[in-house]
Amino acid sequence: MSFWNQALEIARVDLTVERRIGNTLRITLPFAVVALMVFPLALDLRLALVSTIGIGVFWALGILFGMQVALRQSATDTRERRDLQALLGVDPAARFVGRLLSGGVLMSGFLLIVLLAMVVLFDPDVPNGGWPVLTMSTFLVAIGLTELGTLAGEVTSGLSNRTVLASLIVAPLALPLIIGASQSVGALSRDTGILPWILLLIASDLALAVAGVALAQPLEEATR
Amino acid sequence: MRGLELVVEPGEAVGIAGPNGSGKTTLIRTAATLVSTNRGSLEVLGQIVGKRDLVSTRRAIGLIGHQPTLIPELTLVENLSHVARLAGVDIARVPRALEVVGLDEASDRRAEACSFGMKRRVEIAHLLLTRPQLLLLDEAASGLDESARDLIEALVGSVRRRGGGCIVVSHDRAQLTELCSRVASLADGRLDTAR
Amino acid sequence: MTRVRMLMGLAALAVGVGLWFALTAPPDALQGEYSRLLGIHPPAMWVAFIAFGVTALGSIMWLVKKTEWWDRLAATSVEVGVIFTAIGLFTGMVWGQAVWGTPWDWQDPRLMSTAVMFFVYLGYLALRNAIDDPTIRARRSAILGTIAVVQVPLVYFSVNLFRTLHQGPSIRPDGSTMPDEMLIAMLVNMGALMVVYLALLVARLDVARTEAAAAPESAIAGEAVRPPRLNEVEDV
Repeated sequence: MSFWNQALEIARVDLTVERRIGNTLRITLPFAVVALMVFPLALDLRLALVSTIGIGVFWALGILFGMQVALRQSATDTRERRDLQALLGVDPAARFVGRLLSGGVLMSGFLLIVLLAMVVLFDPDVPNGGWPVLTMSTFLVAIGLTELGTLAGEVTSGLSNRTVLASLIVAPLALPLIIGASQSVGALSRDTGILPWILLLIASDLALAVAGVALAQPLEEATR
Repeated sequence: MRGLELVVEPGEAVGIAGPNGSGKTTLIRTAATLVSTNRGSLEVLGQIVGKRDLVSTRRAIGLIGHQPTLIPELTLVENLSHVARLAGVDIARVPRALEVVGLDEASDRRAEACSFGMKRRVEIAHLLLTRPQLLLLDEAASGLDESARDLIEALVGSVRRRGGGCIVVSHDRAQLTELCSRVASLADGRLDTAR
Repeated sequence: MTRVRMLMGLAALAVGVGLWFALTAPPDALQGEYSRLLGIHPPAMWVAFIAFGVTALGSIMWLVKKTEWWDRLAATSVEVGVIFTAIGLFTGMVWGQAVWGTPWDWQDPRLMSTAVMFFVYLGYLALRNAIDDPTIRARRSAILGTIAVVQVPLVYFSVNLFRTLHQGPSIRPDGSTMPDEMLIAMLVNMGALMVVYLALLVARLDVARTEAAAAPESAIAGEAVRPPRLNEVEDV
């Protein structure tokens, strides 16, 4: 089976399993929306602030809850399953790419729905031309966060505190994504260029993709 | 492991007996090229194991380990089809494989709703499809009923008749004596009575 | 199946009648055509309240009698209730945008309490989905279903307890505050959506009964596993 066919097969099975477990849709997503509702209440309903903080709250919650999507149960392999995949000749890089594909689909859908909920609840102040930038940044963050989560999941594979530990690893490494995303929209209201920030997001995504593919084999050996 | 030397000839089934913690699983996983040695050499199916040969060598190896490898949320037929696709095997053979292992009527049941024995049978079905040249069994028959153990025996016999080799690891010496042409003992990281 | 079809047909008819009343009632002087949402928003919320009340009843009855049917009723009613709550929230936001200039008012206790109620029942469904054992699932859902219903009166009376943009109760013991045509449209649609609720409930209960009958747990242990064909291992 070719590299891409392996990746697609892994992505297909991953999405099938996630559809049956349903944690992203049934638990993580409603939880993220409830978390959106907590902010204005926690701000003592100073409603003038709500519109200005909406986009920032979206990025913060998107990253934090998005990590749970990236580290979902369906993306976990037991040691025995990894052994089986190794014996079947599955390229570890193909497994990474497969998880990236399935995770990217789930993450993009997740973040877009949370974005929509934020728009309804917060009525955010979006500068002119901000919607396409916000949407594009959301996709780029989705890709980067999926890559980070997949890598962190591999590094912490087999550990009992995997989810918490992987979240701890992902959170600081996601800072370039948060900065690029928030500054890209902020640049519009400051009337400065958005290109450096979009490029930061693209560069982060590319670097993580290269790292994921290049480190796939050593990571696989390290987790045996 | 200390000074371990093990040779398995084509058509031979070697049993490795040993108490818990003696290194049986490590031995099996080393033979499967899943664990690298820091000293000595490993030759599998006529190939000295180095990074370049790993994929083609591994594809000729079949392993049944302690824990089942099935994805719980997929049905038995979906699990076997997934593995068949990754192995490059025609998935039209999957229903037949499930029939031979006696699971054709349970094929649409999710793995999480199946017993340990049923999951083992699916793993055996996988090996019937891929026809490995080196079969590695790590306590594969533990916890199985008589008909499933007969299946393991049939699988070992099939590999041997094709000229393949088998390493069977168990703490049950009687089972090994029945299944294998010779039995070695593993203790304190050393293997005895192996050529 | 015939019973379900009959109910679905009746529901379609009822919705048609309700639509006719909603569309022919005179529009409100201030809200204009948006006042026609009276035909869906309050009725949807009423049906949601009733649905969650049925869930509480089913939950309590399961705790008393431990009969599977009561658990299925409770769970099915939540599924339908959540749909109607979502309809109520959505139509409420559309109405709010038109009348208040915003789809969401953080200071509106009815809106907030309804949203909280929605998520609690989503959590109920997530909880059920996470448990495989039917008895454990029924017991834990019954406890949650019994407690969660407390939100229904809280949501309903929130407009009385707090000052809010939200319209107060339109029907009170001393009479109604709205013109007769609007009141009739609202009441007819309430009846129509009750029929829809019943139709969906019965249909879903039928599906749940079929799923339970087809579940592996109801199969006789061991009957799906046959003796292996040892002589055919090389014919795969």
